[in-house]
Amino acid sequence: MQPNNQDLDLCAREPIHIPGAIQPHGALFVIRSTDGVVVQASQNVADYLGETVELGRVPSGEVAAHLEPMSQWFVTDEPFYQAVLTSEQLSLVAHRRGERVVVEVERTEIRPVDEVFGTLRSFTHRLGTQADIPKSLAAAAEFVRQLTQFDRVLVYRFDPDWNGHVVAESNGGRLPVYLDLRFPSGDIPAQARALYSVNRLRIIPNATYVPVPILSVDEPDSAPLDLSLSQLRSVSPVHLEYMRNMGTFASMSVSIIVDGAFWGLIACHSAEPHLISHATREICDFVAQSLAMRISALVRAEDAATRAALAVNTSHLLAAMTSTPDWVDGLLGASEALLAQVHAAGAAVVIDGRVRCIGSVPDEHSVMNIVEWLSKREGESHFATESLSSEMDGVDDIAGVASGVLAVSISKVHNSWLIWFRPELVRTVTWGGNPHKVIRESGRIHPRQSFDAWKELVRRQAAPWLATEEVAAQDLRAAIVGIVLRKAEELAQLSTELQRSNKELEAFSYSVSHDLRAPFRHIVGFAQLLRERETELDPKSQHYLQTISEAALSAGKLVDDLLNFSQLGRASVTKKPVDMNKLVAEVVKSVRLSALDRNIEWSIAKLPDAWGDATLIRQVWFNLIDNAVKYTRPRNPAKITIDGHVMDDIFIYNVRDNGVGFDMAYVGKLFGVFQRLQRAEDFDGTGIGLALARRIIERHNGSIKAVGEIDSGASFTFALPGPERKERALA
Amino acid sequence: MPDLRPILLVEDSPRDLELTLAALEKCQLANEIVVARDGAEALDYLTSSGAFHNRPQRDPAVVLLDLKLPKVDGLEVLERVKKDDSLKHIPIVMLTSSREEQDLVRSYELGVNAFVVKPVEFSAFFQAIQDLGVFWALLNEPPPGISSNAKN
Repeated sequence: MQPNNQDLDLCAREPIHIPGAIQPHGALFVIRSTDGVVVQASQNVADYLGETVELGRVPSGEVAAHLEPMSQWFVTDEPFYQAVLTSEQLSLVAHRRGERVVVEVERTEIRPVDEVFGTLRSFTHRLGTQADIPKSLAAAAEFVRQLTQFDRVLVYRFDPDWNGHVVAESNGGRLPVYLDLRFPSGDIPAQARALYSVNRLRIIPNATYVPVPILSVDEPDSAPLDLSLSQLRSVSPVHLEYMRNMGTFASMSVSIIVDGAFWGLIACHSAEPHLISHATREICDFVAQSLAMRISALVRAEDAATRAALAVNTSHLLAAMTSTPDWVDGLLGASEALLAQVHAAGAAVVIDGRVRCIGSVPDEHSVMNIVEWLSKREGESHFATESLSSEMDGVDDIAGVASGVLAVSISKVHNSWLIWFRPELVRTVTWGGNPHKVIRESGRIHPRQSFDAWKELVRRQAAPWLATEEVAAQDLRAAIVGIVLRKAEELAQLSTELQRSNKELEAFSYSVSHDLRAPFRHIVGFAQLLRERETELDPKSQHYLQTISEAALSAGKLVDDLLNFSQLGRASVTKKPVDMNKLVAEVVKSVRLSALDRNIEWSIAKLPDAWGDATLIRQVWFNLIDNAVKYTRPRNPAKITIDGHVMDDIFIYNVRDNGVGFDMAYVGKLFGVFQRLQRAEDFDGTGIGLALARRIIERHNGSIKAVGEIDSGASFTFALPGPERKERALA
Repeated sequence: MPDLRPILLVEDSPRDLELTLAALEKCQLANEIVVARDGAEALDYLTSSGAFHNRPQRDPAVVLLDLKLPKVDGLEVLERVKKDDSLKHIPIVMLTSSREEQDLVRSYELGVNAFVVKPVEFSAFFQAIQDLGVFWALLNEPPPGISSNAKN
């Protein structure tokens, strides 16, 4: 996109501020401030001032009358001394250059103050009524053309790379329309831009002019005169050639400086030589400054509006993020707001290698590649490009969705990023001539001959990220980092509280274990001793004693069950292969002993071995089989079926009975602590067996469920993961 | 029964003491039952000091040691016995109401010979005490070099 750098350098090195000559539309002389003697003068000074200014002498005539006011001005801060030499109809403008005064004179027309004031008032009114920047620019271009009678007036805006873009134009029809054309940055080299910031206005009334040399008195210190602030400074021959190639024989440009930054130019062209007076040029400068202030105000207003909208959007996202346990869920859930934050088409949140996306995004692998690449960039928490392929290799294939990338780092430690994407925006840029073509000839460069529109197709570029959008991204980043940090703090606090409460629970459990079990044991023991000793007790007393024993025993069992249950949460589970056939056989044997009077038909299939803690799994079998025996008490015969199978490395076991069953409406309560679905006097037990079974199964990352029907039986199924998938929860 | 060694029962709770004695009585062991009511007393007995400086020079066949004791608790008694070269051969059975795993783990770390959680059910409790008495007082063979145990 850029002309050859070497050529640019050549052009940029030309010392344009000390040309040693001026243009012939005025004359120049330099006065030594100490004695008022003229030490330099343009060769044409006599054409304007006759014999009143001569090298080596103090000026005479009307000029002499200004020596005293100038010497007074010289010690002030005012940059310019301006006057009109009425007898000659000359405008006189002086500026300081070290210990010297540079005086320039030009022919002028005398404009009445009323006319100037009326013109300016009319302009500022028009400017003030324009709603936006483009309209303000157009109004300024129009006004300047009417005021100056140039054939074409352009407003030319610099992009961040100093390419120019014609953003407004007023054209009288004699010169081609340049609106929307782009000009490469080399057209106005760096040193020219620097000069344009210092001296806001340049005029070349005739591109075919012959430079007028500046003559000096013989002085030991005769450094070339710096004409940076001069109105008459002779320009580079390359520039004149450029103008002639462009078909313009007069030009003027006024710098637009917005908030201290060189924003653009008002550029005026004429097909014929065209001179406007110093006073009119001053009005044009005023116009440019007013326009700059207008632009600044509009930009600020737009910024404020954008910021306000953004604040609403950010707070919306913030609310979404804090309303879910995982802020990422909240953020991605508010997808519209997330994309609106920076006007993107897609977004991805990457945390610890996990990619989650919304909208139009590249594939996960590409997102991870981008994250890898981002993480290698030293110390950057923020990255934005409108053309990813010009920064990173191997991303051409995702340019369609990810030409524009705006990324903010959420955590360096976890390599976490929030990334927005913008699609490729294939567009045509029209240049004022081929910017890649620079003609070189006999050791000096020439500007291009052709200013015919040269169209270029721009690919793998997205719409650029605006400064406000980058700020918006940073804002959201700050919000997220705040949330993440706060969540981490909350978690740390919760964990401390949990540890403390666990400790308290342990202490409680210990005290229950020791101090509550003992009295029950004593009651049971002494009641038994009493029964053995008092063999003559009447039946009623024996019944009372029996009841005391049973009550204390069941309370003691409850304590034991509770301890079992609470210890299960803390104890570690050691997993090994478990012979389920052996376990079930043992359990069935032991429960049979307590039901010798019953008619139970057992149907036990061959069971696959499981993976887990045999003691705990035995407890599960015991609780399920004991339940089956217990709840089939009204049946004769009772039927209990036990079987198992393996599916997808999950081991599934089932205990089924034809007992009293339960109402499926309460199935959710079945596995809760102290949840009993039967009346206590009908079936004994502490109501903790199934809760214990479930906790054991869960500690094995397995699952348990029950199916039942009142009066026809119940079926309990538990599943345990095999060793291969031992750490995965079951569906 | 010339060489029957005593059983040292260390128990602070009078109720547990009574129940344990009733259980030991039921299994009709001829061994003398020596009772210490806290850890300090137990250590005095074992080291023949304090009130027990005149005790017969036969070490107990087994110490039934309650875990929770006033003054010096069961774990500390266990630790002192197992660190003492002249005492460490004496079998120590920890008897406890507590079912906390940490006590079990700690006891085994300190070299306990058996750990029994007192069952709530009386028959089970009796059975446990009787089994302990019979095993440690009658059946257990002490390590060589310790004066031989009488058997019936």
